[in-house]
Amino acid sequence: MSLVKLNIARGVTGTLPTSNYVQGGITEADQWRLTTSFNGTANPIASNWERNDTTFDKIGTGMSESSGIFTFPSTGIYKVEFNINASKSSGDTMYNASKIFITTNNSDYNERALGYSFINEAGGETYSSSHCQLMIDVTDTSNIKVRFGVINQAATDFYGDTNVNKTTATFIRLGST
Amino acid sequence: MARPNHIEDALIKMHSNQWFTWTDSKNKIYANLRLTEKVGVDENIVDNPVTELPTETVVNAKLKELQDAWDAANG
Repeated sequence: MSLVKLNIARGVTGTLPTSNYVQGGITEADQWRLTTSFNGTANPIASNWERNDTTFDKIGTGMSESSGIFTFPSTGIYKVEFNINASKSSGDTMYNASKIFITTNNSDYNERALGYSFINEAGGETYSSSHCQLMIDVTDTSNIKVRFGVINQAATDFYGDTNVNKTTATFIRLGST
Repeated sequence: MARPNHIEDALIKMHSNQWFTWTDSKNKIYANLRLTEKVGVDENIVDNPVTELPTETVVNAKLKELQDAWDAANG
């Protein structure tokens, strides 16, 4: 068998259309955070989200948010992470929970990820964080959406900030559905 | 814990849940304080049960109360 060599330098001129090769890299990545603290539960979180705008800008189109409901920009497999930070000035709480809810009909939400932490007062303001994550196959951006919730056993302060990520949702598109 | 030094520290102690918001979250002053329309309760979105903003005087008094408590606890 004779060896056939392809001379790229001679075979390609101009710009190769992106449809002619496999592209790599992340096409969608976005991060949102709560701007404002609150006490007690917010299940779901219904307001005070903003896109992280501190040395960051989304990759791709980015998520859209309305009343705490996040809509995906395109179909695909996404990783969704949710992180909360909390504290109590006195007393304990048996649990602080972070939750990710999913709807597949743009109406009814089901809990699909859950993270627990607790606070056992350590002689003053005591802190904890909770994290949960999931991967989701978004086959229909009109009907498959996510929202987030926070609950606790005893009244706890949950932190938001417009300069520092304290309660944060992160979305990364991993690949095609 | 840092000493309470902002009206948001007081606001979160006045009611539970996300009862307030800011017209400009990067400028959290009393003039930019608003009630939220909706809050999340038991996996439902419902009307905010808080229907009236506290006055600036009341908010400042709450902040001072927290500061006094912090000072007493931390010498």
